Amino acid sequence: MTDSILLQIVFTPALASLIIFLTGKQLAKKAGWVAAASLVYTTALLLVVGYRMHQGIYIIHEDYLLISPDITLGLMADGLSVCVALISNFLCLVLCIFSIRYIDHRIEIIYAGVNKQREISYYSRFYYLFLFFPMGFMGVSLSTNLIGMYFFLEGLTITLYFLMAYFGYYQRVKIAMMCLLWGIFSAVFFLAGSLLVYSQIGTFEISAMADLAGNPMTRWIIAVFLIGLFAKLAVFPFHVWMPWVHAEHPTCIAGLLAVYANIAAYIIVRSLILPLYSDFQVFGSPIMVLALITMVYGSLLTMAQNDIKRIAACSTISQIAYSMLGIGALTAVSIEGGMFFFLSHIMGKTVFFSTAGIVVYTTHIRNVDNLGGLASRMPITCLLFLSGAMMLSGFPPFSSFAAEWILFTGIFERGATDLLALTVGIIGVAAILLTVAYTFLAARKIFFGPLPADLDKNTIKDPPLTMSLPLIFLVILSIVIGLYPKLIMDMFQPVISGVLTTM
Amino acid sequence: MDIQFAWLCLIFPFTGVVLTPVFSRIHPVMRDYGAVFFSFLTAFSAVMLLPLLFTPTGLPLESNLVWMNTPITVNFGILLDPLSIIVANVVAVISFFIMIYCLGYMKGDPSVMRFWMLMNMFIGSMLLLVLANSLLFIFIGWKLVGVCSYGLIGYYYRDEEKYWIGGPKPFKFDKPSACGLKALVVTGVGDMFMLGGILIIYSYSGTLDVMTLYRTAPEWIPVMAASPGMITLVSLLLIAGPVGKSAQFPLHEWLPEAMAGPGPVSALIHAATMVKSGVFLIARLIPIFYYGYWVSGSGEAMMFFVIVAWIGAITALLAASQGMVALELKKALAYSTVSQIGYMMLALGVSGFSQGLLVNGYTAGIFHLVSHAMFKACLFLCAGTVIHAAHSIYIHEMGALRKYLPYTWIFMTLAALSLMGVPPLPGFWSKDAVLLTCLESQNYALFIVAALAVVCTSFYTTRFMGMIFYGKTSDHIQQQEQKPHAHITEGYRTQTFACGMLAAGIIFLGFFGLAAEHKMHDLFATNLTLEINLPVAEHINAYPAFLVPLLSVLLVLAGAIPAYFFYISRRWQAEKVHKQSSLVKLVHIFLWERWFIDKLYNWLFVQGSQKLARLIADICEQVMDALIHQKMPHLITKGGYSLLEAIKSNAKDLTNNIVYVLAVSILFIITALWWIK
Repeated sequence: MTDSILLQIVFTPALASLIIFLTGKQLAKKAGWVAAASLVYTTALLLVVGYRMHQGIYIIHEDYLLISPDITLGLMADGLSVCVALISNFLCLVLCIFSIRYIDHRIEIIYAGVNKQREISYYSRFYYLFLFFPMGFMGVSLSTNLIGMYFFLEGLTITLYFLMAYFGYYQRVKIAMMCLLWGIFSAVFFLAGSLLVYSQIGTFEISAMADLAGNPMTRWIIAVFLIGLFAKLAVFPFHVWMPWVHAEHPTCIAGLLAVYANIAAYIIVRSLILPLYSDFQVFGSPIMVLALITMVYGSLLTMAQNDIKRIAACSTISQIAYSMLGIGALTAVSIEGGMFFFLSHIMGKTVFFSTAGIVVYTTHIRNVDNLGGLASRMPITCLLFLSGAMMLSGFPPFSSFAAEWILFTGIFERGATDLLALTVGIIGVAAILLTVAYTFLAARKIFFGPLPADLDKNTIKDPPLTMSLPLIFLVILSIVIGLYPKLIMDMFQPVISGVLTTM
Repeated sequence: MDIQFAWLCLIFPFTGVVLTPVFSRIHPVMRDYGAVFFSFLTAFSAVMLLPLLFTPTGLPLESNLVWMNTPITVNFGILLDPLSIIVANVVAVISFFIMIYCLGYMKGDPSVMRFWMLMNMFIGSMLLLVLANSLLFIFIGWKLVGVCSYGLIGYYYRDEEKYWIGGPKPFKFDKPSACGLKALVVTGVGDMFMLGGILIIYSYSGTLDVMTLYRTAPEWIPVMAASPGMITLVSLLLIAGPVGKSAQFPLHEWLPEAMAGPGPVSALIHAATMVKSGVFLIARLIPIFYYGYWVSGSGEAMMFFVIVAWIGAITALLAASQGMVALELKKALAYSTVSQIGYMMLALGVSGFSQGLLVNGYTAGIFHLVSHAMFKACLFLCAGTVIHAAHSIYIHEMGALRKYLPYTWIFMTLAALSLMGVPPLPGFWSKDAVLLTCLESQNYALFIVAALAVVCTSFYTTRFMGMIFYGKTSDHIQQQEQKPHAHITEGYRTQTFACGMLAAGIIFLGFFGLAAEHKMHDLFATNLTLEINLPVAEHINAYPAFLVPLLSVLLVLAGAIPAYFFYISRRWQAEKVHKQSSLVKLVHIFLWERWFIDKLYNWLFVQGSQKLARLIADICEQVMDALIHQKMPHLITKGGYSLLEAIKSNAKDLTNNIVYVLAVSILFIITALWWIK
């Protein structure tokens, strides 16, 4: 089982996807469980890898020859990539189970009137597309070279396009197109950056990128990469796609879209900061300022929304900026905090957005001004929504609290000698309050007060366990990591602070 | 074993939280008594720490567990020193009596499981804040207290009209869920700035451990002082937290609405837990800034004390003045809390003014915290009984209730007299200590403000007691009596028992008030001078010993006498005075509208941020979206099409085509050359 373990982690979902594609009709509504089974398997494999790392094996490396002596598929697991892969994979598993009922309901609404066979075909289509997400995330996390990363990133964009177009909400085809164009825009810059790297050092391997250090072209190369990745991260002013795409996709993949966007932060750390730390310094302050603008802008934008899905969507803009703020401060502590925040954010966003999805699923209402009083009928959903709000706002005992703490510790560490970092740090912590304001205000509008008279009280109830239970597990995971952040931070240490402090 | 009791103080309440749903499944009685039992165990564990106070040389005690060692080292542990033991006992013991009261008060409530869970979590979080040895865990307790208060203030989340506060008509009402949100956000302002302050301290000191911070002060404070403005900045940021949590000016506006929750919740927030956390934290931080000014010689460190003292004094007067016109009973008590916390802040602030005042000021602040916790808990619990009996939250709809609620009347009178500062009750001793320290600092402006607040306190206390228990029975009460199932009587026995115990505590502390104060003084002196090594000087009183007690009694009388004639003997007509004098009317409006501060904040921050958000969404975002998603694609497609149209091979216009092709080629070559270069 543990032979080629990384290869199995990346391609098991693809294999499951193929099985669902070929036997969709026979599997019918069981397709979701097949997908979930494959993800349970990969999660278990990742846990094995994580356990080995705790045992002291810091790096697992696998190389697979693809075409000629030069083109290989390299996969590598270290503390950082395993954490990213494990949490992303777990989110995929959670949302895979969550989608079993959700997507059924969505198909009933979009494709009302189609016969049973068509309905099952759409159902299996969702799942064989869905499984490309875990494959993409695992690929991006574990790839050792830029071309591998590019391949998996593009794969994610294309998967997202089809899922949006088939199962999204209003103007879904148009917005899927918008999403695709932005994805390609980002990928083109990433590819251009990769080619420039190749032109300078003759390889796409990330481990060899340290050879670029001090090269006059390096700053340009980093800049090209950053433009592409900023578009993915929805950093101001490249954020305009996020409210559309994130609000109109099928809600059951909301958490995955947060990963899709935020994983670019991991790419920055992995392929730019770790190998090119000293060349990257010049970008630190601009990134911090841009991140701060994005945080405040995104939060204010969120406050103005009354569409429950748009609230969650716009919040992603500001939340991703927190991890960018940590990365921009460029201290080992802040970068580790930024990465930790990335993981905390994707968990929090999955709970928050999916719960918003449950509200839409139950009430068919998206405007929060028309909602109210749901807590009395949907107590578990309310509790999950409040947990999501606290996970986003960085309340203890959730992991985002520890992440924010570490992240800002790093920023203030830099602030001791850098006035800009100090100012950004103070405004940054104060801006967390905006998150508290918009998440809890939304909670109040949706769940508290009297129940609107026009809501059918008989249909308003907590969703089936297949929807709520996975989210409850996610909340528990966040609490466990929040109570004991050593689990994550010990894994990061040899990869980030262990490396950067020696530079 | 001592330190184990401290751990148990943390373990019991959180175990109660986890087990309440389990008990709830078994039997409702088990659920209710189970929750109270865990509160009892917590109180018992706290009391078991008290013997440590009699062997002060054994303090401080610490115990540590590693929480995180990379990328920063943070330990989770307990710090037992006189401050934490005293405050932990206040929290645990008073909370226990409040929990007993709840057994009766919450009887029949359908969501009582949620109530018990939140109450125990509130107590546990507050004890975490008090007992933690690291600023990080103090902050975690701090945030959890905020979350619990949000849940408890907004407990009646359905916002039924009977739970609205504010008014009476035509004035606006507030709904419980909005009040909870307001508390969370307003206290959050302070929390976030405080987080910044803590992290700046960490960036200089490299530790979050409180005792290590004190011990290593000689190393890191001079470095911090070398950056001009840094200590002032840190002072401001750190004070913001306590100002928010302890409802001090300018972040005091959440507390008057925080009584939207059930009555005992107000008692818990106001007396035992949340608002005391700010005072506690200021006391925790004093040694750092005291060292900064009196040893390191950083002039900026004095800012910390000046700001704290002035915030305290202003708040004491501001809130007390507002209490003079309040019509809601719990709101009057809420203003009173804000004002009394102001006294504690004032004493703690003044403690840094001279080396002779450190121990006196520190003791006065903490002693007032203890005595206030007792009488305010009693007042709020009695208020809960009164409101329940009268079926009204307004004191003008009560009157002559002493014949219906004799026990509550006695208990509440004792607590009220203590609040006013009538000797020999504990409020007198503690307020006297605050005023004395203030006068001895020779900062007369502060003293005058504090003295005026005493007059106001005495007035509003006599006023609400008079309006509740004396005079004629109001029309509202008479109507209630007519109802078939009228029950204007005392509450359940558990309620009366809890109030009675607190009243007995007030009498006890009154008799032993001076002794307790001296004991505290010795404890803090040992702790601050021997353990933390702060330099103090012998203080010689500049004024005769009888002056402040005498002044204090005179000030109480100055407020109580007019209030007595207005609201108890009713010889003077308050309405008449109000009608006849336009000045009184103006002052009344000013005080009723809370100095217009709430309205200003609402306009500036609530409406302001909403307008800013709309501006961002409707203008900035729309313009960017239109430019990027409409204009640009249009430009590219339309422009591209036009370009293609223009350069397409057309035999009729050959020259034109060649010019285009040439121009594009030259542009391309120039770009390529520039790039290669």
